[in-house]
Amino acid sequence: MALLKVEHLTHRYGDVTALEDVTLEVPEGRVGLVGANGAGKTTLLRILLGMLHPEQGAIEVLGMPMTREPLEVRSRVGYMPEGACLPKDQTAADFVGYAAELAGLPVRAARRRASEILFLVGLHEERFRFLGDFSTGMVQRVKLAQAIVHDPELVLLDEPASGLDPEGREDMLLLINRLGEFGISVLFSTHIISDIEETCDWVVMLDAGKVLRAGPLGRLEVRDSITLEVLGDVAGLVAWLSDRGASVTAQGQVLDVSHTDGDTFDLVRDGLAATESGIVRLGVASTSLEEAFFLPAEENPS
Amino acid sequence: MSNRAVIVDRGYRSYDEERLGRRGAMRAIVKEGFRRVLGLRRKARRKLFPWSLIGISAAIAFIFVGLHWVAGVALGPSAPDLPGYGEYFDLNSGIAILFIAFAAPALLVPDRVEGVLNIYLSRPLRMVDYLAAKIAALAILVLSFYLVPQILMHLGLSVVSTEGFLSYMGANLDILWKVPVVALAYFTAHAAVAVTAAALIPREGFAAGAFFGGIFILNGVAELLTQLDVAGAKYAAFLAIEEYPRVIRDWIFDIDTVDYLVEQSGFEQWTAVPATVAVALLATTVVWARYRRLP
Repeated sequence: MALLKVEHLTHRYGDVTALEDVTLEVPEGRVGLVGANGAGKTTLLRILLGMLHPEQGAIEVLGMPMTREPLEVRSRVGYMPEGACLPKDQTAADFVGYAAELAGLPVRAARRRASEILFLVGLHEERFRFLGDFSTGMVQRVKLAQAIVHDPELVLLDEPASGLDPEGREDMLLLINRLGEFGISVLFSTHIISDIEETCDWVVMLDAGKVLRAGPLGRLEVRDSITLEVLGDVAGLVAWLSDRGASVTAQGQVLDVSHTDGDTFDLVRDGLAATESGIVRLGVASTSLEEAFFLPAEENPS
Repeated sequence: MSNRAVIVDRGYRSYDEERLGRRGAMRAIVKEGFRRVLGLRRKARRKLFPWSLIGISAAIAFIFVGLHWVAGVALGPSAPDLPGYGEYFDLNSGIAILFIAFAAPALLVPDRVEGVLNIYLSRPLRMVDYLAAKIAALAILVLSFYLVPQILMHLGLSVVSTEGFLSYMGANLDILWKVPVVALAYFTAHAAVAVTAAALIPREGFAAGAFFGGIFILNGVAELLTQLDVAGAKYAAFLAIEEYPRVIRDWIFDIDTVDYLVEQSGFEQWTAVPATVAVALLATTVVWARYRRLP
């Protein structure tokens, strides 16, 4: 079952287009939603929860149509907003318990779950402190706790590591990683690509309200080309490869070769033999997620 | 190495038991509303104001009972007519207005300002459920504020009555419907304005001030306008929202405390009832218009 299915989704705030003709299908697991500020990440999350009504488009969350069953969807989804969302005058235990009751859990079960989840996020000792006295890191943990206290199948996290110091950030990413182990799917929005690389197995890249790329993380990171460092006649090898239709970029002795018609490795082997060149190293050209984000759309590996 | 075992990670347990849905969520909001207004499970300073008002309100009821007891014992049948249930509303409503001015913003403003609405609306709840639960919490609190002292007073007066407990109770059965109806009128008129102020103003103190000032300024404006020599000026009497419940109280209890603007302008006392309903409907429209676009 697809975690999310979005077809031709468009949403505008007045004259500003937040999302334009977004079509997506995302599987279960840990999914990263990456894009610059204003790319439409929060708008997409809010639409998935039914908090915003899109101008057009069809949305299915956990196999249920959002427009027809918004309450059923929300009962199975958790949400961690980006901004402030905690009442300063409640204790962590009271608030997380209340959040569980709001999701329909009976009072006793809500209290028990609140205690368990606060332990899980590392706030067991601080659970009876007032939220107004919490540090940013603790606030983010409480926000995560309220999002998972009712045992959702999917949790939507909007910039969960925002405002955290490096240690707090690592802890938060570790917790997000663990959600997958608990069987909770995660849709995790961020503008920091390395966070996605650390936690997710699928990524959706948004830019100015459009889907730039979407696919498994591994596939986005690898381009269909190889890199080799040549000993000897670089120019001759480049000419030989180019004559046979390969696309070659050279930086000193390092060549980046891609070839759509046939096996690139075979072509490079033949080229090396023909020009009597040697190699220092040879391998698949890999691209970091960050580089993939800045690739022109026509080079989209998805 | 210690021999004691230490649990470092309890792991995660899924929840497969009962879920109560929307009704459970609305009950939780009502319960949390009581706690917030009364300062329960909050720091001590949050308790001070509401509980002081509750204490004063109860004290007035006990003073009424004491007066009746002293008058009954000392003067017997020749005792003068002392203020009763209807008059108690006059005293208690002054304190109740303060209570409403505090309670309505406490229920609505922090959720908006602190962003907690995002959490509510990510749960299986609609905005209308949220508002209905908040209004229900306010209604239960304010009606209790009016009714509990009246119940205490009724029991007290029955105990100290020279007619005997049961005879007094039997002779005053009409209290059982009159007091709740008048309390409802007070709640509806005052809460309509307080909730509107709380829905529009982003600071609890300012919202309370706007409500408190607003209803008394409207009284003054209504008085000024009704004195103008202009056709239809008498209808300005209906701007005095604060007076509606008192007019209804006089009508229900068949007493004549003050000649209110509505009456001075030639309207029957019962006209305060549809006027109260109209104010409540107008407030509902304004509050809904504000909240339907949130968060």
